Amino acid sequence: MTIQHNTGTLPSQEKHLVLLRDGRTLIGFLRSIDQFANLVFHQTVERIHVGKKFGDIPRGIFIVRGENVVLLGEIDMDKPCDTVLQQVSIEEILEEQRLQQQAKQETEKAKVTALKDRGLSIPKADNLDEY
Amino acid sequence: MFRFQSLDEDCTLEKEEGLVEEEDEIDQFNDDTFGDGAIDDDWQEEHKRLAELEEQKNDGLGGLGLGTLGMGGMGGGNASTVHLPPPASRVPHPSSLPPPHHSLSSIPPPGLEERGGGDLAESLAMLILGVDPAIASVGGPAGPDDRSTGLPPPPSIPQQHHHPSQLPPHHQLTPSGLPPGPPHLSLLSYQQHQHLLRRGAAPMQQMNSHNIWENNLGFGPVSITPGLITQMEDSPLMSIIKEVGLPNRPPPMMSEDGRDLSERAPPPRSSSPVIGSPPVRAVPIGTPPKQPMSHAMNHHHHQQIHHPTAIHVRAPVQHRYPPSFPERISPNTLLNIANSPLCRPPFPAGVGPVLSQIQRAQMLNSQVAGFPRGCQGPPLLPGGGGFRPFFGQPPPHRMGPHPGGPPPPNHNHVPCPIIRHNTTHLHPQHRRMLTQRMQSRGGERGGRVGDWRSRDPYSNLMSQREKEWVAKIQMMQLQSTDPYLDDYYYQNYFEKLEKRQERDRDGVRKEHTTKLITPQVAKLEHTYRPVQFAGSLGKLTVSSVNNPRKMIDTVVTSRTDDEEKREKQVWNKRRQILYTVEKMYSLLLEVQDFEKRFMQTPEEQREALLEQHKTHTLQLYSSLKEKEWDDRVSDEQCLLIMSVRKGKRLISRLIPFLPPLQAATVVMGIARNLPALAKKDKQDQVLCWLVEPIAVVISSLSSASLTDLLQELQGSEGQLSRVLQNKFGVTLLYLILSEGERMQSSNPTCQLMDDNRWTELVFSVTRELLNVPSSSLSPPLFTPPNLLSLFSRYVDRQRLELLQEKLQISALSRCVWGCA
Repeated sequence: MTIQHNTGTLPSQEKHLVLLRDGRTLIGFLRSIDQFANLVFHQTVERIHVGKKFGDIPRGIFIVRGENVVLLGEIDMDKPCDTVLQQVSIEEILEEQRLQQQAKQETEKAKVTALKDRGLSIPKADNLDEY
Repeated sequence: MFRFQSLDEDCTLEKEEGLVEEEDEIDQFNDDTFGDGAIDDDWQEEHKRLAELEEQKNDGLGGLGLGTLGMGGMGGGNASTVHLPPPASRVPHPSSLPPPHHSLSSIPPPGLEERGGGDLAESLAMLILGVDPAIASVGGPAGPDDRSTGLPPPPSIPQQHHHPSQLPPHHQLTPSGLPPGPPHLSLLSYQQHQHLLRRGAAPMQQMNSHNIWENNLGFGPVSITPGLITQMEDSPLMSIIKEVGLPNRPPPMMSEDGRDLSERAPPPRSSSPVIGSPPVRAVPIGTPPKQPMSHAMNHHHHQQIHHPTAIHVRAPVQHRYPPSFPERISPNTLLNIANSPLCRPPFPAGVGPVLSQIQRAQMLNSQVAGFPRGCQGPPLLPGGGGFRPFFGQPPPHRMGPHPGGPPPPNHNHVPCPIIRHNTTHLHPQHRRMLTQRMQSRGGERGGRVGDWRSRDPYSNLMSQREKEWVAKIQMMQLQSTDPYLDDYYYQNYFEKLEKRQERDRDGVRKEHTTKLITPQVAKLEHTYRPVQFAGSLGKLTVSSVNNPRKMIDTVVTSRTDDEEKREKQVWNKRRQILYTVEKMYSLLLEVQDFEKRFMQTPEEQREALLEQHKTHTLQLYSSLKEKEWDDRVSDEQCLLIMSVRKGKRLISRLIPFLPPLQAATVVMGIARNLPALAKKDKQDQVLCWLVEPIAVVISSLSSASLTDLLQELQGSEGQLSRVLQNKFGVTLLYLILSEGERMQSSNPTCQLMDDNRWTELVFSVTRELLNVPSSSLSPPLFTPPNLLSLFSRYVDRQRLELLQEKLQISALSRCVWGCA
């Protein structure tokens, strides 16, 4: 565990990355944490990935409720950053995201129609989140 | 409040300097050289002087600096020894006093030179003497009001009248026990009060050492990181105050150790966490750790005796440099602090060491790693003993000089990560890996840290204790008495890793895989007993994670023995019967399936199967029959089985499979016990299931058996009537009769008539039938058509007609059979 070994250093020397249950990725300085994994993020940036591109949206201070955290990790600034990802502007990435969502919806719709024709129905996954 | 207010400081400074320059009579070096103890005046004279002072005060306002005020405040602490400069000289201003041994200023900065003259000093002294609460108000985050209430009306220093115009807004708390100028105090602006307080705090520093005059008012010049200073002063100040035993001081204020009202860091939390199943406590388990109060204070407490008049308080050396920061400061403040010393113009040489010393002290004592180290002054002192008032509770495991956490990866420290006591639950291999990682990272980061940290003022939001607390909770989850059970894959993974590493390293030394040996955590049973007050209804419950609220009050009730026995008996018996029935069923099922299986099995095995089949059937029958007699069904058993619906079903299915003789006996048994069965069947009404198989059996009966059967049916006295009351019984009777008739009619040579029994029996039946009231005669399932012909044989016409009517035997049927 990072915290227990770096408790001498602060939880905010390095940035942390948290993945939330709704799929968002937040990167920022982790200022505080508690036993429920509620997090306080400072200078947060929401990073959206679409394909090979990504965009950062600055969000300020975030307080995340622990139950929505999927995982949390420290970003190692030392590691060489040789990703193939290409950073783009916010507008662009949002646009890309929108297109991606659209495409997804269309395929989903097609699937549902196809199933319906065959008399089957599969409930939408997002309603079953809890189970 | 003690934080620096830069603008004000500037103003003050200028004004003070102005003042100082013009005060020729200030013997600033007097105190420098001789210190407090050098002056030893008679207090009575002092008093007189002060009284004069008071009178003169009204003439004009002096530009008595805030330093004076401070001094006054400070002086209050040193009640008994008031060391005033000789009357002739100007009051040795606190600022002009010689700095302490560890003084942060060698030369008292000009700004805080004494304002007044000797009289001033005296008045100050009086003030000091007189007003204890003043100190309190100085120390705390008091507003102006506190001041005003605490202090006596500040007399103006008469000597200050030369400069009445200079500092009009500045008022001073002149040290006079004499009455007033309350307006003075009231005129003090908030900011000025702040100054006062701060200044007051500064001189209070002195309390740690010998005397009040000997102060490191090198802090005084607000230009020098006042914020820092005041912070440093806070704790000793507070400790002193505590010692002095100021009653007025409300305890909660203590916790607000030098907190800036405007930039308040989050308030201390209420209580410490209790991990594990707690006894009933006031606070639930999930509360984070309490903010440690000023440890210097606590420490001081433990170490020192309270003096009511603690002038000669000998603070331990440690207190000289108290924790610069309380555990948590607001980032803004931190920023300010960080910036001020850096941004300020350099001071006269004398001030230089002050700065560095402050820095040093702060660096050493800082619990907050984020403290700006941009000003990398002197290297960290290795022991820092004298500069480490903040002891807290250095955990035994900690290595390195720092009280807090693993030492920041600074150059001076050996980058050895500290093995945490709460990591015992990790696999040794895992721990090794983690420490390696730490080391490598520590090594890398060493150089860069200082710079980085200077720019991250928000990094101190979580105290060390809190971080550890959260970590502890997480590690608790790893506690287990059986790691292989709880976390099998984790254990195996690390073992494999180890093996692999050994292999890669050519495993010269064959150390067997290190297995995790968890400390055996004694799983204590913490039964929670709710608090209950005598005589009250109900129980108090403090619910927490480990003892959640009791939803249901379960009470064990024990019934009386008799009742229980009886109930038990009944149930047991029934269970027994059912059990028997079950067993029989399983046999029956096999028997029933016999044919199918027979078909399926190959030739060779068929015989075996047949044998098996026979055994089964035999078994079935044997379970029914009487122990010794083969040809009689055990009444008891029969009854038992038939008392259960399932049993009846069983019998009905069983009969077809039995060999005729055995089947006959079963039927006999049924007939014999019909009344009882009928009674038991009242609820179920399923006897009629038996009709069909019995019919089959009857049809295959010989005449003798038939007669027997009829006899059985009639059985004892009154049985028949009961039989007639039951549907099944009636049906059975009819069946028998019709069978008999059939026999007679079909086979004239039938032996039925040979035996008189049959005739007699029939007679009795007819008699009974006639006698029995119609209402009690139960309608049969079906009426065999040849009954009438039967009766016609035995009874005369009259009776026949009666019977006919009763039994509702249709004429049609009579016709049909009449000719037979």
